[in-house]
Amino acid sequence: MAEYMRSHMIADAQSGYCPGCLHALATRLVSDVIEELGQADNSLNVISVGCSALNILYWNGDFLSVAHGRAPAAATGVKRTNPERLVFAYQGDGDLAAIGLAEIMSAANRGENFTVIFANNQTYGMTGGQMAPTTLLGQKTTTTVYGRDAETTGYPMKMCELISTLEAPVFVARYALNSPKGIRDARAGIKKAFEYQLAGKGFTFVELLTNCPTNWKLSPLQTLEYMNTNTIPYFKPGVYKDKEAENV
Amino acid sequence: MKQSFVFSGSGGQGIMSAGITLAATAIEMGKHATYLPEYGPEQRGGSAKCTVVISEEPIVSPLPKYCDNLIVMNEQAYAKFAEDLKEGGVLLANSCRVKDAAIENARVISAPVDDLALELGSAKIANTVLMGILIGATGIVSREAFTDALEKKFRDKKPGVLEMNMAALDKGIEIGRKA
Amino acid sequence: MGDIKFMKGNEAIAEAAVRAGCRFFAGYPITPQNEIPEYLSWRLPEVGGAYVQGESEIASINMVYGAAAMGARAMTSSSGPGISLKAEGISYLAAAMLPALIVNISRGGPGLGSIQPAQSDYLQATKALGHGGFHAMVFAPNSAQEAADLVYTAWDYAERDRNPVLLLMDGCLGNIMEEVQLPPMREMKDEDLPEWSLTRRNGRDYQGNITPIYTEPILEGINTMAGEMYKAWEEDDVKVEEFMLDDAEYVIVAYGIASRVAKEAVLRLRAEGHKIGLLRPITLFPFPKKQIRDLDYNRVKGIIDIEMTIPAQMREDIELQVKDRCPVYEYGRSGGCLLDDEGVYEAIGEILAGGENNG
Repeated sequence: MAEYMRSHMIADAQSGYCPGCLHALATRLVSDVIEELGQADNSLNVISVGCSALNILYWNGDFLSVAHGRAPAAATGVKRTNPERLVFAYQGDGDLAAIGLAEIMSAANRGENFTVIFANNQTYGMTGGQMAPTTLLGQKTTTTVYGRDAETTGYPMKMCELISTLEAPVFVARYALNSPKGIRDARAGIKKAFEYQLAGKGFTFVELLTNCPTNWKLSPLQTLEYMNTNTIPYFKPGVYKDKEAENV
Repeated sequence: MKQSFVFSGSGGQGIMSAGITLAATAIEMGKHATYLPEYGPEQRGGSAKCTVVISEEPIVSPLPKYCDNLIVMNEQAYAKFAEDLKEGGVLLANSCRVKDAAIENARVISAPVDDLALELGSAKIANTVLMGILIGATGIVSREAFTDALEKKFRDKKPGVLEMNMAALDKGIEIGRKA
Repeated sequence: MGDIKFMKGNEAIAEAAVRAGCRFFAGYPITPQNEIPEYLSWRLPEVGGAYVQGESEIASINMVYGAAAMGARAMTSSSGPGISLKAEGISYLAAAMLPALIVNISRGGPGLGSIQPAQSDYLQATKALGHGGFHAMVFAPNSAQEAADLVYTAWDYAERDRNPVLLLMDGCLGNIMEEVQLPPMREMKDEDLPEWSLTRRNGRDYQGNITPIYTEPILEGINTMAGEMYKAWEEDDVKVEEFMLDDAEYVIVAYGIASRVAKEAVLRLRAEGHKIGLLRPITLFPFPKKQIRDLDYNRVKGIIDIEMTIPAQMREDIELQVKDRCPVYEYGRSGGCLLDDEGVYEAIGEILAGGENNG
């Protein structure tokens, strides 16, 4: 049984994430896997804009902070000039599925050999809880005060499903971080994605369903239940694409 | 002596290629030259024009308004640029497509460039016939220097292409000298 | 003498960049700069570099941002509309203190404007390449040769200052073919990688981070340092060509393609006995303030700003230095209509005649 210890990749400081926020867990999983793979010094975190940007304060490894939505583009420049580094972008849903949609789809389509960790909490957390491209129908936000209405705002975007239609990506999977099993699966998924990258196999994408107690206006425990009854039925966890497994 | 040349016609007539080869040949001969292309948004079939300036001295401006030599491959080009020819300049017109080319106080050379090219084997060598006439009439570059340029350009092309262009050049020079 | 090549301005820029050590390019197609990405798409892989055709100008500038952070000599190129899209990314480069070369082969504007050449982006280049009040050094060559020479030194300035450099040249010079003597190929070694870069190849064994966002007191310090850097540029880095100014009563100020047409006019007017000269800014930022401010205004009767854009955009910078000590005139063509020798000669002739009548 492994000892539970603070990851060396994360600064010994109080987290700025709101109480009960799963972002902290998501970054913890990523850092654990990097350490397990012996990649602490070789990893480079391309930090996007949104609550994900708080990583600037806590991430102990090398990082490059970039413009809103452009992490996959910046990561392309990083990886093409330094192919030996373990490069990952850590993006939220507004960053990835709205302003950065062109960048994520194009990087995936080029088969860039890096990993994107996508934290999907269905809201713009840092700016105060506005509607995100992934906000569920009926979900109340500060810009959909009566709940998201498909008539005027369309439907929540399913990024794993979209990206898995592309030819180039080698691993595309979604996990929910609201249960021990979900967390264990996510850790294994992140590990697989990084291993694929280190083997030079190509583009890997891991979506993590997270929460936002502050903007969902629910207690942390209620958010986990909300995810079971609302988020998971729409954003179904699972491996959407695994080219290596297909080849077996 | 600074000499300016405007080549014009439609895309696909080898206008740009003629201008580049002339300028490159002049540089090979130790002169200075600039080549400036102008084209419309179309890839083919639109208007094509280029300006070449050749001089013993480094070129200051590559943008003369009036040219010493105007080479027109079709009627539209003639209509558009005839007024840009300097007094006493040379007008070289493809008579297959430009009817009744006539500019006062200019040395007008009309030749059925398209027909000559076809007689020599291909419509594609019309621009080489044209360059031959220009060289024959003005002596702006030497035959030797221009044949070197043709050899470089067509060395790796299909057998026979270079020979066809050489014949086109000589036919043009013969016409140019008499004109 | 090295080998003289007959090549396009755009290709001279591309090859000079490779020889300067550029190993990363990202860009998006736009006329009239396409020869740059086309050339680099095959040339960079030959020297172990990477070329990426971005999905947009926005993505491309951010790819450059990523490569620059790793210490690679990186560049992008575009034309006015695309430079507008890159504005955010250029601002981020300045904020994150990353060196890079941005090339603008300019065309008629505003908007989609015209694909034909124009000098329509002076204000964008020198005043506000992006938000936040930063500057980049702006080089404005007037020949394919000078473009190659300036590109060759661009990263030396960019790395010295940890700031992007802009090369501004109109579509006419981008597409012109003329003689170019190319600079030698530089050897780029891993140990030359900047110590601040995020690559591990520079031997760094501590955490590296690069960010375009800062907390309050730090950002003010960075802004202050930038201000001092711009002042130092004015002292040390102004490049200008002064032609026949010693006794000139009329001084043309023109850069890029306009300066060549203007110089032709100066030669012709001098032959006719007019005392006229040319002051050509080669750096548009830093602007040659001193050179214009210190002209002898007891002798100089007029300044003539010639630009291939209407209205003239450099005029305000000139007027700030002239300080009403003589009239400032302007002449230009715009929207893809090119300046030409005759037009510039005649326009200057009218100004001289008018000035002499007024005098």
